[in-house]
Amino acid sequence: MSVNNTTNPSTTEIDRSCCVPLLALFGGAALWLVVGSVFGLIASIKFHAPDFLANCAWLTYGRLQPAADDALLYGFCLPAGLGVALWLLARISLTPLRGAIIPVVAANLWHLGVLAGLIGIVIGDSTGFVWLEFPRGGSVPIFFAYLLLALWGMMIFAGRRERALYPSQWFLVAALFWFPWIYSTANLFLLTGPVRGVVQAVIGWWFANNLLVVWTGLVGLGAAFYFLPKLSGRPLQSHYLALFAFWTFILFATWCGIPSGAPVPAWMPTLSAAATALLIVPLLAVGLVGWRTVWGAVRSNWDNGPFCFIGTGLDCFCLAGLMLMAMGCPKISPVTQFTWFGPAETQLRLYGFFAMTMFGAAYYLLPRVVGIEFPFSKLMRVHYWISLAGIALFVVPLAIGGIVQGLKLQDPNVAFADSTKAMLPFLRVSTTGLLFILLGNLLFFVNVIGLTFLWKITLLKKFLAFVKSPLEPGSADASLRHDQEVQA
Amino acid sequence: MKNGFLVFLISLVALGGSWCGFVLAPVSQLGADKQTTILNSSDPYPIGRPGEANQGLQVYRANGCAACHTEQVQQSGVACDVILTDNGKNPSAVYQACGASGMVREYRAWPVRLPITVVQGVNKESADDAVDKITTAGGKAEIHIIATGSDIARGWGRRHSVAEDYLYDSPVQLGSLRIGQDLADVGARLPDANWQLIHLYAPQSMVPGSAMPPFRYLFQVRKIGPVPSPDALNLPKEFAPPSGYEVVPTAQARELAAYLLSLRADVPLRDAPFTQPLAVSKP
Amino acid sequence: MSDETKSNPPQPSDTGPAVMRSTVPISIILLTLLLLFLGMVYFDHHGGWFDSQVYGPYTSADQLESYQPRSGEAAILAQGKARYEQVCGLCHGLDGLGKPGQAPPLAGSEWVDTKGFERLTHIPLAGVNGQLSVKGQMWSLSMPAMGAAMSDEELAGVLTYIRSSWGNKGGPVTADEVKAARAALGTHPQPMSGDQMSKLPE
Repeated sequence: MSVNNTTNPSTTEIDRSCCVPLLALFGGAALWLVVGSVFGLIASIKFHAPDFLANCAWLTYGRLQPAADDALLYGFCLPAGLGVALWLLARISLTPLRGAIIPVVAANLWHLGVLAGLIGIVIGDSTGFVWLEFPRGGSVPIFFAYLLLALWGMMIFAGRRERALYPSQWFLVAALFWFPWIYSTANLFLLTGPVRGVVQAVIGWWFANNLLVVWTGLVGLGAAFYFLPKLSGRPLQSHYLALFAFWTFILFATWCGIPSGAPVPAWMPTLSAAATALLIVPLLAVGLVGWRTVWGAVRSNWDNGPFCFIGTGLDCFCLAGLMLMAMGCPKISPVTQFTWFGPAETQLRLYGFFAMTMFGAAYYLLPRVVGIEFPFSKLMRVHYWISLAGIALFVVPLAIGGIVQGLKLQDPNVAFADSTKAMLPFLRVSTTGLLFILLGNLLFFVNVIGLTFLWKITLLKKFLAFVKSPLEPGSADASLRHDQEVQA
Repeated sequence: MKNGFLVFLISLVALGGSWCGFVLAPVSQLGADKQTTILNSSDPYPIGRPGEANQGLQVYRANGCAACHTEQVQQSGVACDVILTDNGKNPSAVYQACGASGMVREYRAWPVRLPITVVQGVNKESADDAVDKITTAGGKAEIHIIATGSDIARGWGRRHSVAEDYLYDSPVQLGSLRIGQDLADVGARLPDANWQLIHLYAPQSMVPGSAMPPFRYLFQVRKIGPVPSPDALNLPKEFAPPSGYEVVPTAQARELAAYLLSLRADVPLRDAPFTQPLAVSKP
Repeated sequence: MSDETKSNPPQPSDTGPAVMRSTVPISIILLTLLLLFLGMVYFDHHGGWFDSQVYGPYTSADQLESYQPRSGEAAILAQGKARYEQVCGLCHGLDGLGKPGQAPPLAGSEWVDTKGFERLTHIPLAGVNGQLSVKGQMWSLSMPAMGAAMSDEELAGVLTYIRSSWGNKGGPVTADEVKAARAALGTHPQPMSGDQMSKLPE
């Protein structure tokens, strides 16, 4: 199909076609983001006061922390990522989203699934697998919701008017089918027909790595490679480097995940360690693409909210990648394993990289998609700085503290209790960081809900205007009324 | 790339590769139901957990204990000790063999009371060497295999955890953070069910300064009946209920304690060998 | 913060941002190749070549084998057991209960649980042909000299294992005793019958 500019839909038409699905996805996502932050904050406070809310089984640390993590990942990251992916695919393919009712249904199904899953965890029905804690009542709706949304994304992609591919499309198309495969494998092999023994742990690690590192990387990088050049007005540098980054990323990052020293035959951790070392190649490639694209344009775009969010996101991607490489290196891993260094890297990746990128994308696309400005757009700057402070205050103490804890754990002459005690000052700072993160999330939530509210008011106004408007001759309703009068 | 199908194909190959490597291959290699035997014996390992302990695993899972505790012992190396078991007909030659390679300090009296460690913490080649020297001198010596590592030194296990240790667990609760101690061998380390129950109810009473939250909802505080319950916990004063009341564990608490007592990692296996220690005196 | 739509310069095209087509720096490709090579070397050294028994810190199946505890009686038993399962267990059963029509049982057998060792060492070294009574049952089969190809230490280990397994309480058989029996039988021993065996001292 040749590109015919006169018949191409306008950017506005493409944007508006995505309106309801994106509002459905982001509205719920913003809510789960806040819920997850609240859970995470309560869980973190329990370290400073173990008796805090200890009498309630639903709020015990072992249930609350996984609930907080899953609310962030399944409640916010996945739906926000899918929403941005759908919109990006529509925009780049010059194809509006048709049949928007299905993605809206899917989005609502998704949020119901997350609700069921989180309730399942806090009442004690967690599956026991890290990052896969949702019981069947949550995982099944989520899976089918994703399938529907991915199908819509593939339809947009397959029916695209512009046949030449822009780099972001590779990343997003790969992400669309990545999740169903890993999620169905994990659920089938771990929960439906459980494999024996430690193989459960291996598949669990494979799944968690492919979701947290590969999937978020694909969607986040796809978004970054679109927004950074677009917002800075520079071309992407370059097509082949981005292609190289894509290939090496999916080839190498998918094999990371098995920790060194795991109770599995040595070939598995060895393969993972080699893959983690090879991760430097896509990291370098992504860093080069990002740096070369925006070099010289950073100062002039200092005021541009989405640009700052996404640029920071890409920086955090590279940092989180370096932390992951450190954790995978067999010389360093005895110190970082089983310590807070791991959660620090996860948070840096999920929140510092992915969530910040999604924030930037949302602040750019939601006003265009809905056609209304954010009610509190000045809060964007506050949100950015609070979130950045929160990330720094959370990740840095936990990373340093994790190394301190690890060094003490490695020394058998140090009593175990000392390694936990040594963490307390670091945990205090990270709890403060979580508070900042919660505040930033609240600001985002307020903006998104405010936008939804304004949109609903606009709809209401339109509906009222339609009801009140005098009927014009020649309109369908007028002729219908005329026929009715005639028959009567 | 212009071709969308090519993108899809490459992604398929990439994910398919790691799926084969980390899903298919481990399932085919380790997935079959396989008991092994304890090293140098025909006793099978592992034997399944008794019923209450199996229920306890579900309590462990439901309360997210794996968020703070791991169940995997790590081993950073392996070393050999050489134990002298027989002086033979020529004790002085054997002493020379031991002392010639600088293996033992001056003994006040020789022959010493056997068996005795003469070499500690060397690799296999050096140990074989030492045994050869001793055997040539007419004595008899044994090599003992010792696992080394900080987990082993802390007494958290005798050797690293292997796949057979988790054969009958579903879900496997390996854990990823050590905010609390590793629990792979806790059944051998703390075999007292009462200790476990009191620790669950009031962790700070057993481990001062512990960050573990009290699991009071697994227990029932009730009025003492005509006779105090035999299950009632014997708590220190600061944590005890008001007078006239007793703390009794619920079924869940007892199951969890049974599960913790069933956790052991102290038998040698072919893939995690170590020599069961005898009463050996050191130089 | 200024509204982004007001300050953004006009976009190059409606499809999205423009893309440059400069080539990938050769250095990053060379780095990839180098790391792939180093990764393969690392796997060769530490991967245990996909062996399901090799766990870290062991790096190869050979190394694991060398660290299996060997000294003392336990080691002799382990080796004897392994050899028994390879050679004798096919007919006499891994549980020593024998197989009807194939081989008599060894568990509780009066030929195994003897005070001495002469009769027992002769059976694998010479073989059996003809009738033999085991635990009250008459067996009329022939057994080749399965132990003739083994070394003295190996056969001693196998016999020690048989004599201490499945309830048998006989003492160990040493390599010297096997050597003596081999010497007594000469270079080409004929398979013995049950009568000939019973005539041997225990």
